[in-house]
Amino acid sequence: MREESAVLIKERATGRLVEATLIDGITRVEVEEAEEQWRPVMAQRIEDLRARQAPRSKWPEHGHWDWRKKHAATQGLLAYRMLGLRSDGRMQGLMLVVTAGHACRIAEQKNKEMVYVDYVATAPWNSPSVVEEPQYGMVGRVLIAAAIQLSLDEGFKGRLGLHSLPQAEEFYRKQCAMTDLGADEKKQNLRYFEMTIAQAAEFLR
Amino acid sequence: MTLNLTEAEMEALERLCKQKDLSKTAVIRQALKLYQMVDVRLAQGDSLFFEDKEKKNKAELMVL
Repeated sequence: MREESAVLIKERATGRLVEATLIDGITRVEVEEAEEQWRPVMAQRIEDLRARQAPRSKWPEHGHWDWRKKHAATQGLLAYRMLGLRSDGRMQGLMLVVTAGHACRIAEQKNKEMVYVDYVATAPWNSPSVVEEPQYGMVGRVLIAAAIQLSLDEGFKGRLGLHSLPQAEEFYRKQCAMTDLGADEKKQNLRYFEMTIAQAAEFLR
Repeated sequence: MTLNLTEAEMEALERLCKQKDLSKTAVIRQALKLYQMVDVRLAQGDSLFFEDKEKKNKAELMVL
């Protein structure tokens, strides 16, 4: 199954909104193409940081993610959906979500079904942790909105959960206004964030 | 398609709908997604366990 829809992201240099295509069900070829475009930029950044002896806390935290392996491991499984955001001839962001087997933790929606965001990343040239002048903004925001829409489509009413890498915590706490349920010792002590039905509705407004 | 369920199965389905705040279709879709995931993992040689943390019991679930 593959669906494409038109969305808008922000070109940071000019501040104007530009068209992008949100793809639900990206192909192996598209994932490989994205990896080929992303990897040299990320590798160059890590090389620079290593040469400057920058502390590991400054390194991009998702530099080691291999989207090809994630695609291969989940292809054909109904519970998993991989989405891509394409603009300017390149993949500007990728996201892998699971739509079964994850239960909510917030008291008001405890044990209810939700969409769990397993992995989400913007292209390295859009990330302030990789480049001095990121090219496109709103990529993460559009992908989280897409995850909420999937939650609505599945009948989960917008309920969403994820574990955040430290560099992304502020994004989920402030920009997404998700509830921070603290460090999860079962998931490498990453902080767990959850979105209620009301928070999802507010995010989409 | 039409799904024929026994009274007990329909009761179980309705209970799950209430507990999970889902429609009947959504519950059936969830069940299918989980069944497929378990089936694929078992076919790959993985095992599925239930764990009782208090009693520290671990039991393997056999899916036929």
